Amino acid sequence: MAMVAPTRMELLKLKQRISLAQRGYDLLTEKKDALIIEFFEILRRIKEARVGAFEQLSASYRALSTCFAVMGTIETRQASKEAKRELQVDVSTRHVMGIVVPTLRVEKVERTALARGYSIHTTSSVLDEASREFEKALELLVELAELEESARAIAKELEKTKRRVNALDYIIIPRLRATVKFIAMRLDEMERENFSRLKRIKAIFEARA
Amino acid sequence: MSVDRLIKLELSKLNIHLPKQRISLKDALRSAEPHVTARDGSVHAFKREELELLAKMLPETDWEKLQLPIFISFDLKLGRGTAKIAGDIEVKVVSQILRKEGIGDELLIYRPEVAILRKNLPTTTQYFFMAG
Repeated sequence: MAMVAPTRMELLKLKQRISLAQRGYDLLTEKKDALIIEFFEILRRIKEARVGAFEQLSASYRALSTCFAVMGTIETRQASKEAKRELQVDVSTRHVMGIVVPTLRVEKVERTALARGYSIHTTSSVLDEASREFEKALELLVELAELEESARAIAKELEKTKRRVNALDYIIIPRLRATVKFIAMRLDEMERENFSRLKRIKAIFEARA
Repeated sequence: MSVDRLIKLELSKLNIHLPKQRISLKDALRSAEPHVTARDGSVHAFKREELELLAKMLPETDWEKLQLPIFISFDLKLGRGTAKIAGDIEVKVVSQILRKEGIGDELLIYRPEVAILRKNLPTTTQYFFMAG
Protein backbone atom coordinates (compact mmCIF):
# COMPACT_ATOMS: atom_id res chain seq x y z
CA MET A 1 0.00 0.00 0.00
CA ALA A 2 2.95 2.31 0.74
CA MET A 3 3.99 2.07 -2.94
CA VAL A 4 0.65 3.33 -4.26
CA ALA A 5 0.58 6.89 -5.57
CA PRO A 6 -2.35 8.65 -3.89
CA THR A 7 -3.80 10.18 -7.06
CA ARG A 8 -7.30 10.37 -8.47
CA MET A 9 -6.15 8.41 -11.55
CA GLU A 10 -4.92 5.57 -9.31
CA LEU A 11 -8.19 5.67 -7.41
CA LEU A 12 -10.18 5.25 -10.65
CA LYS A 13 -7.93 2.40 -11.78
CA LEU A 14 -8.38 0.64 -8.44
CA LYS A 15 -12.15 1.01 -8.60
CA GLN A 16 -12.11 -0.64 -12.04
CA ARG A 17 -9.94 -3.45 -10.66
CA ILE A 18 -12.38 -3.99 -7.77
CA SER A 19 -15.25 -4.16 -10.23
CA LEU A 20 -13.39 -6.79 -12.30
CA ALA A 21 -12.44 -8.78 -9.21
CA GLN A 22 -16.04 -8.63 -7.93
CA ARG A 23 -17.34 -9.86 -11.29
CA GLY A 24 -14.78 -12.66 -11.23
CA TYR A 25 -15.81 -13.55 -7.69
CA ASP A 26 -19.54 -13.63 -8.58
CA LEU A 27 -19.04 -15.77 -11.67
CA LEU A 28 -16.63 -18.16 -9.98
CA THR A 29 -19.09 -18.50 -7.08
CA GLU A 30 -21.80 -19.49 -9.58
CA LYS A 31 -19.38 -21.97 -11.11
CA LYS A 32 -18.53 -23.36 -7.66
CA ASP A 33 -22.23 -23.77 -6.83
CA ALA A 34 -22.86 -25.54 -10.14
CA LEU A 35 -19.85 -27.83 -9.54
CA ILE A 36 -21.21 -28.70 -6.09
CA ILE A 37 -24.55 -29.66 -7.69
CA GLU A 38 -22.71 -31.86 -10.21
CA PHE A 39 -20.48 -33.40 -7.54
CA PHE A 40 -23.33 -34.39 -5.23
CA GLU A 41 -25.35 -35.81 -8.12
CA ILE A 42 -22.36 -37.93 -9.18
CA LEU A 43 -21.82 -39.06 -5.57
CA ARG A 44 -25.46 -40.16 -5.36
CA ARG A 45 -25.09 -42.11 -8.60
CA ILE A 46 -21.79 -43.67 -7.44
CA LYS A 47 -23.49 -44.83 -4.25
CA GLU A 48 -26.26 -46.52 -6.23
CA ALA A 49 -23.83 -47.97 -8.78
CA ARG A 50 -21.56 -49.34 -6.04
CA VAL A 51 -24.43 -51.12 -4.31
CA GLY A 52 -25.50 -52.65 -7.65
CA ALA A 53 -21.95 -53.63 -8.62
CA PHE A 54 -21.16 -55.19 -5.22
CA GLU A 55 -24.40 -57.19 -5.23
CA GLN A 56 -23.65 -58.42 -8.73
CA LEU A 57 -20.04 -59.24 -7.84
CA SER A 58 -21.12 -61.26 -4.83
CA ALA A 59 -23.61 -63.16 -7.05
CA SER A 60 -20.77 -63.73 -9.54
CA TYR A 61 -18.38 -65.07 -6.90
CA ARG A 62 -21.12 -67.35 -5.55
CA ALA A 63 -21.59 -68.71 -9.06
CA LEU A 64 -17.81 -69.13 -9.41
CA SER A 65 -17.62 -71.06 -6.13
CA THR A 66 -20.35 -73.40 -7.39
CA CYS A 67 -18.39 -73.76 -10.61
CA PHE A 68 -15.19 -74.64 -8.70
CA ALA A 69 -17.16 -77.23 -6.72
CA VAL A 70 -18.85 -78.81 -9.73
CA MET A 71 -16.10 -78.62 -12.37
CA GLY A 72 -13.02 -78.47 -10.22
CA THR A 73 -10.53 -75.63 -9.80
CA ILE A 74 -8.05 -76.71 -12.46
CA GLU A 75 -10.69 -77.22 -15.16
CA THR A 76 -12.31 -73.85 -14.36
CA ARG A 77 -8.94 -72.08 -14.53
CA GLN A 78 -8.16 -73.83 -17.80
CA ALA A 79 -11.51 -72.74 -19.28
CA SER A 80 -10.88 -69.16 -18.12
CA LYS A 81 -7.53 -69.17 -19.97
CA GLU A 82 -9.26 -70.28 -23.15
CA ALA A 83 -11.93 -67.57 -22.92
CA LYS A 84 -11.71 -64.51 -25.16
CA ARG A 85 -10.73 -61.43 -23.22
CA GLU A 86 -11.78 -58.69 -25.56
CA LEU A 87 -14.28 -56.02 -24.74
CA GLN A 88 -15.36 -53.26 -27.06
CA VAL A 89 -15.55 -50.03 -25.03
CA ASP A 90 -16.54 -46.84 -26.77
CA VAL A 91 -14.85 -43.94 -24.97
CA SER A 92 -16.15 -40.46 -25.66
CA THR A 93 -16.20 -37.29 -23.59
CA ARG A 94 -18.68 -34.82 -22.26
CA HIS A 95 -18.15 -31.42 -20.74
CA VAL A 96 -19.14 -30.23 -17.32
CA MET A 97 -18.15 -26.55 -17.26
CA GLY A 98 -14.90 -27.04 -19.09
CA ILE A 99 -14.03 -30.28 -17.32
CA VAL A 100 -13.76 -33.12 -19.74
CA VAL A 101 -15.32 -36.20 -18.17
CA PRO A 102 -15.32 -39.61 -19.87
CA THR A 103 -18.41 -41.32 -21.21
CA LEU A 104 -17.98 -45.07 -21.59
CA ARG A 105 -20.33 -47.17 -23.65
CA VAL A 106 -19.94 -50.93 -23.76
CA GLU A 107 -21.31 -52.88 -26.67
CA LYS A 108 -22.78 -56.24 -25.62
CA VAL A 109 -20.84 -57.48 -22.61
CA GLU A 110 -23.02 -60.56 -22.25
CA ARG A 111 -21.96 -63.20 -24.75
CA THR A 112 -23.28 -66.55 -25.80
CA ALA A 113 -21.49 -69.69 -24.59
CA LEU A 114 -19.99 -70.15 -28.07
CA ALA A 115 -18.74 -66.57 -28.27
CA ARG A 116 -16.86 -66.87 -24.98
CA GLY A 117 -14.23 -69.07 -26.59
CA TYR A 118 -13.92 -72.03 -24.20
CA SER A 119 -14.90 -75.53 -25.20
CA ILE A 120 -18.54 -76.26 -24.45
CA HIS A 121 -17.97 -80.02 -24.65
CA THR A 122 -15.56 -80.18 -21.73
CA THR A 123 -17.27 -77.63 -19.48
CA SER A 124 -20.42 -77.58 -17.42
CA SER A 125 -23.42 -75.24 -17.60
CA VAL A 126 -22.41 -73.82 -14.20
CA LEU A 127 -19.42 -72.25 -15.93
CA ASP A 128 -21.79 -70.54 -18.37
CA GLU A 129 -23.82 -69.30 -15.42
CA ALA A 130 -20.70 -67.94 -13.66
CA SER A 131 -19.49 -66.30 -16.89
CA ARG A 132 -22.87 -64.66 -17.42
CA GLU A 133 -22.84 -63.28 -13.86
CA PHE A 134 -19.32 -61.88 -14.30
CA GLU A 135 -20.27 -60.30 -17.61
CA LYS A 136 -23.18 -58.55 -15.91
CA ALA A 137 -20.81 -57.40 -13.14
CA LEU A 138 -18.33 -56.09 -15.72
CA GLU A 139 -21.00 -53.91 -17.31
CA LEU A 140 -21.79 -52.38 -13.91
CA LEU A 141 -18.08 -51.91 -13.14
CA VAL A 142 -17.54 -50.00 -16.40
CA GLU A 143 -20.43 -47.71 -15.45
CA LEU A 144 -18.94 -47.27 -11.97
CA ALA A 145 -15.53 -46.48 -13.45
CA GLU A 146 -17.05 -43.72 -15.59
CA LEU A 147 -18.76 -42.19 -12.57
CA GLU A 148 -15.72 -42.41 -10.32
CA GLU A 149 -13.47 -40.79 -12.93
CA SER A 150 -16.05 -38.02 -13.41
CA ALA A 151 -16.25 -37.47 -9.64
CA ARG A 152 -12.45 -37.28 -9.40
CA ALA A 153 -12.22 -34.71 -12.20
CA ILE A 154 -15.07 -32.60 -10.79
CA ALA A 155 -13.63 -32.72 -7.26
CA LYS A 156 -10.26 -31.52 -8.57
CA GLU A 157 -11.87 -28.61 -10.42
CA LEU A 158 -14.06 -27.80 -7.43
CA GLU A 159 -11.02 -27.57 -5.19
CA LYS A 160 -9.30 -25.24 -7.68
CA THR A 161 -12.37 -23.03 -8.07
CA LYS A 162 -12.92 -22.86 -4.30
CA ARG A 163 -9.31 -21.77 -3.80
CA ARG A 164 -9.75 -18.98 -6.36
CA VAL A 165 -13.06 -17.83 -4.89
CA ASN A 166 -11.50 -17.71 -1.42
CA ALA A 167 -8.44 -15.84 -2.70
CA LEU A 168 -10.70 -13.21 -4.28
CA ASP A 169 -13.00 -13.03 -1.26
CA TYR A 170 -10.43 -12.96 1.53
CA ILE A 171 -7.27 -11.52 -0.04
CA ILE A 172 -7.59 -9.70 -3.36
CA ILE A 173 -10.85 -7.77 -2.93
CA PRO A 174 -10.18 -6.74 0.73
CA ARG A 175 -6.65 -5.58 -0.22
CA LEU A 176 -7.97 -3.53 -3.15
CA ARG A 177 -10.69 -2.02 -0.91
CA ALA A 178 -8.11 -1.15 1.73
CA THR A 179 -5.95 0.57 -0.91
CA VAL A 180 -8.96 2.53 -2.20
CA LYS A 181 -9.73 3.58 1.36
CA PHE A 182 -6.11 4.66 1.90
CA ILE A 183 -6.06 6.73 -1.32
CA ALA A 184 -9.44 8.32 -0.56
CA MET A 185 -8.28 9.28 2.93
CA ARG A 186 -4.97 10.59 1.60
CA LEU A 187 -6.78 12.68 -1.05
CA ASP A 188 -9.13 14.08 1.61
CA GLU A 189 -6.12 14.88 3.77
CA MET A 190 -4.42 16.67 0.85
CA GLU A 191 -7.60 18.62 0.18
CA ARG A 192 -7.76 19.69 3.82
CA GLU A 193 -4.06 20.69 3.73
CA ASN A 194 -4.69 22.79 0.60
CA PHE A 195 -7.73 24.40 2.14
CA SER A 196 -5.90 25.42 5.31
CA ARG A 197 -2.89 26.58 3.24
CA LEU A 198 -5.15 28.79 1.12
CA LYS A 199 -6.83 30.15 4.24
CA ARG A 200 -3.42 30.97 5.72
CA ILE A 201 -2.27 32.71 2.50
CA LYS A 202 -5.53 34.67 2.40
CA ALA A 203 -4.98 35.74 6.03
CA ILE A 204 -1.41 36.89 5.21
CA PHE A 205 -2.65 38.92 2.23
CA GLU A 206 -5.40 40.47 4.32
CA ALA A 207 -2.89 41.40 7.04
CA ARG A 208 -0.61 43.10 4.47
CA ALA A 209 -3.48 45.03 2.89
CA MET B 1 1.11 -12.64 -14.33
CA SER B 2 -0.84 -9.89 -12.63
CA VAL B 3 -3.95 -10.67 -10.63
CA ASP B 4 -6.15 -8.81 -13.15
CA ARG B 5 -4.83 -10.89 -16.03
CA LEU B 6 -5.42 -14.07 -14.02
CA ILE B 7 -9.02 -13.04 -13.32
CA LYS B 8 -9.56 -12.19 -17.01
CA LEU B 9 -8.08 -15.55 -18.00
CA GLU B 10 -10.37 -17.37 -15.57
CA LEU B 11 -13.39 -15.50 -16.91
CA SER B 12 -12.44 -16.28 -20.50
CA LYS B 13 -12.20 -19.98 -19.63
CA LEU B 14 -15.64 -20.12 -18.02
CA ASN B 15 -17.51 -20.72 -21.27
CA ILE B 16 -14.86 -22.63 -23.17
CA HIS B 17 -16.98 -25.79 -23.02
CA LEU B 18 -19.78 -24.26 -25.09
CA PRO B 19 -20.25 -25.65 -28.57
CA LYS B 20 -19.10 -23.82 -31.70
CA GLN B 21 -22.44 -24.68 -33.22
CA ARG B 22 -25.49 -26.33 -31.73
CA ILE B 23 -27.32 -29.13 -33.53
CA SER B 24 -31.03 -29.82 -33.73
CA LEU B 25 -32.62 -32.79 -31.99
CA LYS B 26 -33.58 -34.15 -35.43
CA ASP B 27 -29.95 -34.14 -36.61
CA ALA B 28 -28.76 -35.61 -33.33
CA LEU B 29 -31.27 -38.46 -33.58
CA ARG B 30 -30.21 -39.15 -37.16
CA SER B 31 -26.50 -39.18 -36.31
CA ALA B 32 -24.77 -42.45 -35.41
CA GLU B 33 -22.59 -40.65 -32.87
CA PRO B 34 -24.48 -37.52 -31.82
CA HIS B 35 -22.05 -34.87 -30.60
CA VAL B 36 -21.03 -31.21 -30.84
CA THR B 37 -17.56 -29.70 -31.00
CA ALA B 38 -16.70 -27.32 -28.18
CA ARG B 39 -14.94 -23.96 -28.62
CA ASP B 40 -11.70 -25.53 -27.36
CA GLY B 41 -11.96 -28.24 -30.04
CA SER B 42 -12.97 -31.09 -27.75
CA VAL B 43 -15.98 -33.27 -28.36
CA HIS B 44 -19.14 -33.30 -26.26
CA ALA B 45 -21.18 -36.45 -26.87
CA PHE B 46 -24.92 -36.78 -26.25
CA LYS B 47 -26.38 -39.91 -24.71
CA ARG B 48 -28.91 -41.57 -26.98
CA GLU B 49 -31.28 -42.31 -24.10
CA GLU B 50 -31.53 -38.59 -23.42
CA LEU B 51 -32.20 -37.80 -27.06
CA GLU B 52 -34.94 -40.42 -27.09
CA LEU B 53 -36.42 -38.95 -23.91
CA LEU B 54 -36.49 -35.49 -25.54
CA ALA B 55 -38.02 -36.95 -28.70
CA LYS B 56 -40.81 -38.52 -26.64
CA MET B 57 -41.55 -35.20 -24.97
CA LEU B 58 -41.93 -33.21 -28.17
CA PRO B 59 -44.01 -33.61 -31.31
CA GLU B 60 -41.94 -34.52 -34.38
CA THR B 61 -42.46 -31.05 -35.87
CA ASP B 62 -40.49 -29.53 -32.97
CA TRP B 63 -37.45 -31.81 -33.32
CA GLU B 64 -35.91 -29.47 -35.86
CA LYS B 65 -36.48 -26.43 -33.63
CA LEU B 66 -34.90 -27.79 -30.47
CA GLN B 67 -31.22 -26.87 -30.48
CA LEU B 68 -28.85 -29.00 -28.41
CA PRO B 69 -27.33 -28.64 -25.92
CA ILE B 70 -29.92 -26.64 -23.99
CA PHE B 71 -28.21 -23.76 -22.17
CA ILE B 72 -28.72 -23.20 -18.46
CA SER B 73 -27.65 -19.55 -18.31
CA PHE B 74 -26.39 -18.07 -15.08
CA ASP B 75 -26.73 -14.32 -15.37
CA LEU B 76 -25.21 -12.15 -12.65
CA LYS B 77 -28.11 -9.73 -13.05
CA LEU B 78 -30.53 -12.42 -11.88
CA GLY B 79 -28.73 -13.00 -8.61
CA ARG B 80 -26.94 -15.98 -7.13
CA GLY B 81 -28.43 -19.40 -7.85
CA THR B 82 -30.93 -18.23 -10.46
CA ALA B 83 -30.66 -19.56 -13.99
CA LYS B 84 -32.48 -18.79 -17.20
CA ILE B 85 -33.66 -21.09 -19.98
CA ALA B 86 -34.22 -19.29 -23.27
CA GLY B 87 -36.16 -20.42 -26.33
CA ASP B 88 -39.75 -21.61 -26.87
CA ILE B 89 -39.03 -25.29 -27.32
CA GLU B 90 -36.32 -25.34 -24.66
CA VAL B 91 -38.77 -23.82 -22.16
CA LYS B 92 -41.38 -26.41 -23.17
CA VAL B 93 -38.97 -29.30 -22.51
CA VAL B 94 -37.58 -27.95 -19.25
CA SER B 95 -41.01 -27.08 -17.85
CA GLN B 96 -42.14 -30.65 -18.58
CA ILE B 97 -39.15 -32.11 -16.75
CA LEU B 98 -39.53 -29.77 -13.78
CA ARG B 99 -43.34 -29.96 -13.87
CA LYS B 100 -43.37 -26.20 -13.79
CA GLU B 101 -45.49 -23.81 -15.78
CA GLY B 102 -43.44 -22.21 -18.53
CA ILE B 103 -44.91 -19.39 -20.55
CA GLY B 104 -43.16 -17.64 -23.43
CA ASP B 105 -39.58 -18.05 -24.46
CA GLU B 106 -37.92 -17.54 -21.10
CA LEU B 107 -38.02 -19.54 -17.90
CA LEU B 108 -36.31 -18.78 -14.61
CA ILE B 109 -35.22 -21.75 -12.57
CA TYR B 110 -33.49 -22.00 -9.21
CA ARG B 111 -30.66 -24.12 -7.86
CA PRO B 112 -32.69 -27.19 -6.72
CA GLU B 113 -34.42 -27.18 -10.11
CA VAL B 114 -31.05 -26.94 -11.88
CA ALA B 115 -30.02 -30.08 -9.98
CA ILE B 116 -33.18 -31.92 -11.13
CA LEU B 117 -32.67 -30.77 -14.71
CA ARG B 118 -29.02 -31.86 -14.77
CA LYS B 119 -29.98 -35.19 -13.22
CA ASN B 120 -32.44 -35.86 -16.06
CA LEU B 121 -30.42 -34.36 -18.91
CA PRO B 122 -26.71 -34.53 -18.02
CA THR B 123 -25.37 -34.46 -21.59
CA THR B 124 -28.05 -32.48 -23.43
CA THR B 125 -27.83 -29.46 -21.11
CA GLN B 126 -24.83 -27.22 -20.50
CA TYR B 127 -24.05 -24.34 -18.15
CA PHE B 128 -23.56 -20.90 -19.64
CA PHE B 129 -22.13 -18.10 -17.50
CA MET B 130 -23.11 -14.57 -18.45
CA ALA B 131 -21.09 -11.70 -17.06
CA GLY B 132 -24.13 -9.42 -17.02
